[in-house]
Amino acid sequence: MGKYHLGEFEELVLLTVAILKDEAYGIAIIDEMESRLKRSVSIGALQTVLRRLEKKGFLSSEFGEATKVRGGKRKRYFSLTAYGKKVLTETKEQRMGLWSAIPEFAFSKI
Amino acid sequence: MKELQPPKLPHRFFRWYCHPDYLEDLEGDLMERLEKQRLEKPAQSAKWRFTSDVIRLFRPGIIRPITQIQQLNQFDMFKNYYKVAWRHIIKEKFYSTINIVGLGVGLTCCILIAFFVKNELSYDNYHEKLDRTYRILQAYKAGAERDVVPTSEEFQFWGNAPVGPAFKDEFPEVEQFCRFTPGHSKLIKVGDEIYDEKNVVFGDSTAFQVFSWDLISGNPETVLSQPNTIVLTETLAKKYFGKQEAMGKIVTYNKTVECVVTGIMKDVPANSHFTFEGIISMGTFYNQRSWIFDSWGYVDFYNYFTLKENSNIESIKPRFDDMVKKYTADWENSRYYVDVEPLKGAYLNSVASRQAGKMGSQSNIILFTAIGIFILLIACINFINLSTARSLERAKEIGIRKVVGARKFSLVYQFLSEFFLLSIFSGVLSLVLVIIIAPYLNEFAGISITPDDILNVPFLGFFGLGLIIVGLFSGSYPAFLLSKFQPAKVLKGNFKSGKSGVALRKALVSFQFILTITLIIGTATIYNQLTYLQNHELGFEKDQTLILEFGFDGQVQENIEALKNEFEKTPNILSVCASRAVPGNFYPNAGTQIENLEGELEPHSPAIYEIDPDFIPFYDIQVLAGRSFSYDHYSDSVEALMINMAAAKLWGYTNPEHVIGKKFDQWGKTGEVIGVVDDFNYQSLHSEVEPLTLRFEPYSMAKFSLKLSAGDVYTTIKDLEEKWKELIPQRPFTYYFIDDNFDKQYRSDEKFAQLFSSFAGLAIVIAFLGLFGLTTYTTSQRIKEIGIRKVLGASLRSILLLLSKDLSKLLVISFIIAIPISWFAIQKWLEGFAYQAPLSISIYFLTAFIISLIAFGTMSWQSMKAALQNPVNSLKNE
Repeated sequence: MGKYHLGEFEELVLLTVAILKDEAYGIAIIDEMESRLKRSVSIGALQTVLRRLEKKGFLSSEFGEATKVRGGKRKRYFSLTAYGKKVLTETKEQRMGLWSAIPEFAFSKI
Repeated sequence: MKELQPPKLPHRFFRWYCHPDYLEDLEGDLMERLEKQRLEKPAQSAKWRFTSDVIRLFRPGIIRPITQIQQLNQFDMFKNYYKVAWRHIIKEKFYSTINIVGLGVGLTCCILIAFFVKNELSYDNYHEKLDRTYRILQAYKAGAERDVVPTSEEFQFWGNAPVGPAFKDEFPEVEQFCRFTPGHSKLIKVGDEIYDEKNVVFGDSTAFQVFSWDLISGNPETVLSQPNTIVLTETLAKKYFGKQEAMGKIVTYNKTVECVVTGIMKDVPANSHFTFEGIISMGTFYNQRSWIFDSWGYVDFYNYFTLKENSNIESIKPRFDDMVKKYTADWENSRYYVDVEPLKGAYLNSVASRQAGKMGSQSNIILFTAIGIFILLIACINFINLSTARSLERAKEIGIRKVVGARKFSLVYQFLSEFFLLSIFSGVLSLVLVIIIAPYLNEFAGISITPDDILNVPFLGFFGLGLIIVGLFSGSYPAFLLSKFQPAKVLKGNFKSGKSGVALRKALVSFQFILTITLIIGTATIYNQLTYLQNHELGFEKDQTLILEFGFDGQVQENIEALKNEFEKTPNILSVCASRAVPGNFYPNAGTQIENLEGELEPHSPAIYEIDPDFIPFYDIQVLAGRSFSYDHYSDSVEALMINMAAAKLWGYTNPEHVIGKKFDQWGKTGEVIGVVDDFNYQSLHSEVEPLTLRFEPYSMAKFSLKLSAGDVYTTIKDLEEKWKELIPQRPFTYYFIDDNFDKQYRSDEKFAQLFSSFAGLAIVIAFLGLFGLTTYTTSQRIKEIGIRKVLGASLRSILLLLSKDLSKLLVISFIIAIPISWFAIQKWLEGFAYQAPLSISIYFLTAFIISLIAFGTMSWQSMKAALQNPVNSLKNE
């Protein structure tokens, strides 16, 4: 492991893309994240992260069909690559490993 | 609900910075958010949201990279542009040649004119102390108008000797003064050879401190400080001593004065307003005629001075009056005036009379610069006209390029680069032409252009910049026009590009016509004026007259009558006379007092001719009143004076009879005026005949005039030379014909005329080259129309008429505009002549005839071809 360092926001974005499956384009991702996580997401932050993840190979993207709305501009749909899925899974397993290593008493005292 | 438009500025900003790959979907996202916001909130706040989103997106990762991949792309595109441009030039050889040759010749003219102007502006600039060197101007006024301050034209540069030293004594700001005498003929003997030097002057010892002439050997501080010393230019040293060392050698001036060569200098640069071949020290002159160095009324010097550093010339000007009063306190009837002008620019700007050498002309510079610009304009217009007219040829190419994705500016690039390529070809052509023409120009106008002047970085840099400007100027309109084509229209095939820019093309062609008509009228007028000058009745007989100079030789003066008789005996010689000056040549002025109508002696300073009694009949000068000098009247050489009509008028006499018998006092002689001669033109016809006095003065003679009968001139001159060697062995035999010499005064006018007409000719050729190209094209466009007209029965005449209708209209309009412009310009030019050829209407008719002839000749070449063609040929293939 080691070389894949997913940031917190990166991880959330990857997860949201996975949730939205075939509908994961910019605005939809923002809306989903805002409604699920109750936090505001700036378009700038999201888009930079999306492009970065794509460049790293965690995400792939393709244009959808042109529509009359959105000024006639096409949507760019993102989807998780196999590599992205693997990284997400590994991250999850790391977390789980950490969780399971916590001794009982440590929680009970809090 | 109406769709909400995003705020313009942020939207454009976003499009500008956004990475092109992300642009579409991000813009879509932004629009979607805007639309969603619109449903929930007022329009204004939705717009604010949009703006804030745009700003939030402005971060690395979204912004387009600064290092552009595009540039690589553009390089390839440029390569492609040049390839296409090259193919196009090769394919359209005819039009490309017209463009390249026209522009190349235009540029050549411009380069040559630029060198001419540069040379004119460079006069005297090589002097290190130029900025603080000044020339002293002087004026003498007498009689009733003595208190009227002289005009700039009345001041003369040729002045007296003591004013220079007086400047140094009176004004502490003056650092040094330097005086020269004009280079009158001087006899110089070296070994056994005798030379008659026309341009050896006397000069003060400060010459090499005031002026930056290069002294090769000799000490600049002391080289002329002693009497009987001489500084030679390299040319003169070589002439006298060949390859031998000249320093320290002795040359004999005036048969008795032995001068030591104390310095050798480089030849005076050609761009100097005052030139000489040698300087004899002023001390030598002083020893001969010391009295003139104190005489404020004796005029024979050019005065220069330098100011000390940090001194201001304005500060000494107010003190001139006091100085003049101090030195000329005893002058009663006349007044002396002094003024100064900077040496810098004197060559071009000075209007003073009696200059030290030939002067430049600011108006010539302006005129030639204007012609240069005109020629270039005409060439550029050809360029514009041909490329816009033929835009149809390129329409399909442009359409395809646009469809494939070329943006407007890249098409502009493409066409501009094509025009640059053409202008580079023209530039190379013009440089070659300049190098070929340069030697002729040097011979002709005295402007030397060496390959070094052209092949250096500043010149080529400047030239390259010029080419870019020319390319931009002539290319930007066509490029703009071509790139505007709409691909859909072009490719559908119903596109008429002939229409685009027709009005502009007509205007430009008219402009060319106006320029060429003006130039033709100008050329015709200049030649008209010069012919007029040369055929003008001068008031004296100048044909077949040979002048022999003996330069005040004492021995000749002693035996003058006997020598005249000897020459008269030579076969083919009809008559002989002697005088100090002859028409068209140098003459002095003399302070003269003549009794005016009130009976008082009134002083003026008219020109003076010292002659013998044979002079007036010899030159066939008409005597209006009184009598001419005669050998029978013994007193004529002592107390008689003749004047010309202009002088009689100067003293207030309108009837020449009334001045006869009036008293005069001139140069130590007193007596009576015995005769009045008609005004004969003893100077060039640039100026009116000025007042002249003539006196019989046996011991002031310097020249023989000999009238030849129409015979073998060569043998006669040989005979004369032999006789001369026998009778006057101490003098070299120098001769010239007076009409050649008189016409020499118009040489600069002739040169001007030749230069003007050659440039005008070139301009006309270039303009008609363009017209030729344009008509060739427009006719070829109408070839089908002509075919159909012929099939339907149109005659050759009606077709020619149809094709030339447009051109005739343009010609008439241009002619109407050009007439007042050229009339105004001509009037300005003619102001420089006292005797002006009457403006003749025939010049305008001639011009109209010439221009129509060339224009229709150019055009009908093509239209005839089109009209005579068998219509089958033009109609059979579609």
